[in-house]
Amino acid sequence: MEAIANVMPEAIETAPAPTYINGSHALMQALVAEGVDTIFGYPGGAIMPVYDALYDFQDRINHILVRHEQGAGHAAEGYARVTGRAGVCLVTSGPGATNLVTAIADALIDSTPMVCIVGQVAKKLLGTDAFQEADVMGVTMPITKWNYQITSADEVPEVISKAFYIAQSGRPGPVLIDITKSAQLELMTQSFAYERCQSIISYRPRRVPKPEQVEAAAKLINNAKKPYILVGHGVQIAKAEDELREFAEKTGIPVATTLLGQSTISTDHPLYVGWLGMHGNYGPNVMTDHADVIIAIGMRFDDRVTGDASKYIKQAKVVHIEIDPAEIDKIIRADAPVVGDAKEVLKALIPLVTPNDHTVWRNEFRKYDAIENEAITQPELSNQMGKIKMAEVINMLSQKTKGESILVTDVGQHQMMASRYYQFRRPNSLVTSGGMGTMGFALPAAFGAQVGAPDRQVVAIIGDGCFQMTLQELGTIVQNKQPVKAIILNNNFLGMVRQWQQLFHERRYSFVELQNPDFVTIAKGFGMAGHTCNERESLSDSLDTLLNSDGPYLLEVIVEKEENVFPMVPAGASVAQIRLK
Amino acid sequence: MTPNDHNMTTYTICIFTENTIGLLNRITIIFTRRRINIESLTVSETERKGVSRFTIVIKHESREEVEKLVRQIRKIVEVLAVFGYLNDEIVFNEIALFKVSTGLGSKPLDVETINQQYKAWVVYWGLDYVIIEKTGNDTEIFEFFNYIKRHEILEFVRSGRVAVGKTEKGLVEYLPEADWAYYM
Repeated sequence: MEAIANVMPEAIETAPAPTYINGSHALMQALVAEGVDTIFGYPGGAIMPVYDALYDFQDRINHILVRHEQGAGHAAEGYARVTGRAGVCLVTSGPGATNLVTAIADALIDSTPMVCIVGQVAKKLLGTDAFQEADVMGVTMPITKWNYQITSADEVPEVISKAFYIAQSGRPGPVLIDITKSAQLELMTQSFAYERCQSIISYRPRRVPKPEQVEAAAKLINNAKKPYILVGHGVQIAKAEDELREFAEKTGIPVATTLLGQSTISTDHPLYVGWLGMHGNYGPNVMTDHADVIIAIGMRFDDRVTGDASKYIKQAKVVHIEIDPAEIDKIIRADAPVVGDAKEVLKALIPLVTPNDHTVWRNEFRKYDAIENEAITQPELSNQMGKIKMAEVINMLSQKTKGESILVTDVGQHQMMASRYYQFRRPNSLVTSGGMGTMGFALPAAFGAQVGAPDRQVVAIIGDGCFQMTLQELGTIVQNKQPVKAIILNNNFLGMVRQWQQLFHERRYSFVELQNPDFVTIAKGFGMAGHTCNERESLSDSLDTLLNSDGPYLLEVIVEKEENVFPMVPAGASVAQIRLK
Repeated sequence: MTPNDHNMTTYTICIFTENTIGLLNRITIIFTRRRINIESLTVSETERKGVSRFTIVIKHESREEVEKLVRQIRKIVEVLAVFGYLNDEIVFNEIALFKVSTGLGSKPLDVETINQQYKAWVVYWGLDYVIIEKTGNDTEIFEFFNYIKRHEILEFVRSGRVAVGKTEKGLVEYLPEADWAYYM
């Protein structure tokens, strides 16, 4: 393969003999060759040679300086979630790397592709407790899909190509590359050449399913009387939204999604019945107990979905379509496992399933919808008195944006309310921290999502507790002129914890009330416009102001202080024990 | 040893991997995260250059959990293949070394019994001690231990288990030959 570039101009002047580039320039060349155009990072001592090389690559790589490394991690996640490509982080050793840890763990559990490049002390200082030395390999081993320490410049091209291949293929996940300062400075001993990794001998994720597995699944589906599709994040990761719709429409099978599966199918699609889980819809949860065949696609039966797993879908045969073989039989035993990429599996499955309608079965869901609507949805939306409810804000936002925005949510009550009331119309429109439940995720992730999807409107829904975990990223948003719209639903409480304390700990409110700062003043301090909405009458105008603003905008909505999210499957209970109040 | 030890079945997990730094750590954290205690662990290079073989012995009450464990290990990028075996599916062995005192006034060593009854061998004669090597499964080694403890045992060390599956299939059958050529 031809070298892409092997000498830097200044090197030519000083060295007569062929001189090769150093590890830092090799890293930049590798990132360019990999098609990386955006990096979220923060410089420091052990990564300075890379930042020096980056100076020469500013025209090709947009480096975004965050305010805290955790922000870089979540921004990279947001970017990855909307683009489907690996988000790239660049940070220094020691605290720079350890600050990334939460985001890495978050990316692993939510199958988000990410490549984290982390500085490390020089090779000869490894293990000496040098300044800002931390065993980042050891720390991140359990929370990465793969990690590797580069100690010589020659390793750079191959390792970087492997990193991107591993992060983005199979079940995506975070990869960490620890690169010693000596490797960053040292010259390569050969010309730089980059070949994109296409396969790794010991790592072979199966994309195309085995035909016999697809046939077995089709047989179960074709004989089902009450089949039910549960869609996880895997369908959107595989970009299989069209195939899913075709499969569901051909078979007439109702579709529910997990939290991260939301927006896979438009909420107004006649086959869409709602979402699953602890605070998911009533019907979709309860009906899992009535189905005779469950078709789980790209999901992992998280405990927030199953409740008590020993009582979950005992009556049903299970078709489990999943790219990660370790997820098969992990929580729920599969009668017909199909290992493969959701898109490939559905493409193989569609010709084998017989057209059906299942109208009677589908209508059973609607009975529960009516109950939920009467018990929860209408009361929450038709308030005329008292404080604004979170539901009203999301519902109005959904109407004003016609369900076409990308919603980025933090973790807690507002997250569940956003999922309950936003009517998603376009795929890939919910970015939230599902598995890890990372407070502070939304603001940096919304920024990353906006960078990755400049043509879409990105709205962050943030709780007052969550906001204070990463609010410094307002600075990043303003400096980079990204028109992120942030809505803080402020109840001056850590609302979800308070709800649990109310329901399960006899209202013993233990350290959940917050004395908050003036969020609008804080935003203004960062140079971001914003205002507070405290009255129902001005909510509509407030949302208009937010949505019509040119740049970033922060809207604080003061909401009902003690409101609870229902339905709710109490932790450890079965889905049948779902509570409406 | 846990109180439920009698419900436990011994499993031997054979893991074939690329030989890279840190892989031992990556493998063992999968056990520790699930609170599975490793009884013994042996690593060596296989007949293929650059391919390591881990032999890990665990005790567990649930075959299902061991299968899940195996699938999690398989997920590691550098892992080529993983097999979980019951004792009757493998030929396995361990080696033990005993340093036994033969100083003045100590009981004379019955080398004939050691050789013929216990199939153990004196591999080194020191001035006032000997080193005896005993290979076998853990029961055989402890039978010999109980015999030899009438002498003063100065040191005793036992290796981890090494094991080979009884099935005719070698590892090569599980991976395409073309891929293995990479390691030849």
